[in-house]
Amino acid sequence: MAPAQSGTRARLMAAFGGSYLSSVLIGTVAVLLLLGAWEIALRFFEVPIWLAPKPSDFLARLYTDRVLIAGDAFWTSLTIVEGFALGVVVAIPLALAIVSVGALERGLYPVIVFLNIMPKTVIGPILIIWFGIGPLVAALIVFLMSFFPVLVDSMSGFRLVDRRLFYISRSMGASSWQTFWKVRLPAAMPHIFSGMKIGVVKAVEGVIIAEFIASNKGLGFMIVRASAFMDMTLMFSGLVAAAIVALIFNGAMSMIGQWLMPWSRH
Amino acid sequence: MTDTTMADMKPSTPSGLVHPVGEVNATGASIHAKGLTKVFGSGENAFHALGPIDLDIKPGEFVSIIGPSGCGKSTTMLLVTGLEPPSAGSVEIDGKPLTAPISEIGIVFQDHLLLDFRTAINNVMLQQEIRGLDKAKFRERADALFARLGLTGAENRYPWQLSGGMRQRVSIARALVHDPSMLLMDEPFGALDAITRTQIRHDLEMLWLETRKTVLFITHSIEEAVGLSDRVLVMSKSPGTIVEEIVIDLPRPRPAHLGEYPEFSKYAERIYRIFEKLGVYKF
Repeated sequence: MAPAQSGTRARLMAAFGGSYLSSVLIGTVAVLLLLGAWEIALRFFEVPIWLAPKPSDFLARLYTDRVLIAGDAFWTSLTIVEGFALGVVVAIPLALAIVSVGALERGLYPVIVFLNIMPKTVIGPILIIWFGIGPLVAALIVFLMSFFPVLVDSMSGFRLVDRRLFYISRSMGASSWQTFWKVRLPAAMPHIFSGMKIGVVKAVEGVIIAEFIASNKGLGFMIVRASAFMDMTLMFSGLVAAAIVALIFNGAMSMIGQWLMPWSRH
Repeated sequence: MTDTTMADMKPSTPSGLVHPVGEVNATGASIHAKGLTKVFGSGENAFHALGPIDLDIKPGEFVSIIGPSGCGKSTTMLLVTGLEPPSAGSVEIDGKPLTAPISEIGIVFQDHLLLDFRTAINNVMLQQEIRGLDKAKFRERADALFARLGLTGAENRYPWQLSGGMRQRVSIARALVHDPSMLLMDEPFGALDAITRTQIRHDLEMLWLETRKTVLFITHSIEEAVGLSDRVLVMSKSPGTIVEEIVIDLPRPRPAHLGEYPEFSKYAERIYRIFEKLGVYKF
């Protein structure tokens, strides 16, 4: 197995990279075809720009207004990072507490589930009164949206660690702190991470809506403002920018996952 | 590197060596248990899993417990180490009463239970990290064990890059690296294929002959029990009690094909007969 290892590895990498490349290629071609059809249809029917902009219009706008859009994209990204990071920092210890203490599981967990069923955007107006309109409220809404999937998957991660691993760590004389840091948390990591992946999707989904209702910065706010001016082109440019931000966050998350847990590919 | 390369390694113990029990300077601990009983749950739902059983294991002895599934043999192992408290009865290790889990032990389970996120060597070095011992000295011991177990070159590979047999070897290295006085194995070869199992059985025997730890070996394989042990304790169905004790008087190291010894089949047959009498087999 040893001499074949590097070869196998290279082949694996090639297969992985190859399929990744081809899927990107096919995706790009599909998007280009769609944009092309869109462009041709709108030109053919002479649709006015204030009703529906052509791809050439909003892509050009994306370039000419790049400073404005990039600035708002930055605020949106920052809001995602803040809200999501807060979600992870709260969810993981809370998951451990709920799993470890039976009373919390029976008492606190139903309350959290109930809160999660509530539409988060409804909390927006309340938060605006408390904190005023701004990125902070948007970040809090992102936190509420991304927190729950991380909590649920962390709980199952902590729960599913093989009991016999605790026998082994105790046979080493490990303290409960050592058992947590060196065994339980890393062993639960794949589950925690899949929760974080869902959490990021929720966060990039929620951030635009949060900015619609509760912020004075970011892509969501930019789109609302453009809507007030009937600036259709800028609205579409904002949509494309939001999609790019979402892609970057999802991609970064997968890359971190593969870097942290190389075995999870197998 | 495969498991079969182990056959090329010359064991440092001269072959054909015969070790009568307790004669060599054993480094293992003695285990003395009296009236050991385990009941899970309470009231209506109480499940009497084990006992009462008595154990008297000498330092450096290799003792197997064999019995049908769910008879409480794994529980026995957890009770004598203090990892689970008994419902009744007492345990003495080296004459000292057991009150808390002891750490002078190494455990191997049926599944390797290595940590996915650590390389082979770092799985073994977890012992050093948790015990807070000298890293360089420990690494030396780990390297020696890796060489002894045919794992050289696999140090920096992750569990998912190793074969099943190698993972179990790493797991054995992890259980031995801190020089424990007791090795506890719960069906350690149960998940391996027959060829790997025979090889790893021999490698374990050679390692044991050199170090003379006390070994408590839980198995449901008659071949493994007779092939490895000084003494086999046969357990009944749950609640498990020890119904018979069989001293295995065969020379060591024992051959790959145990059928070479006519005595082997006699021992094996004896265990089959006991199982038949207990109703473990219904033919």
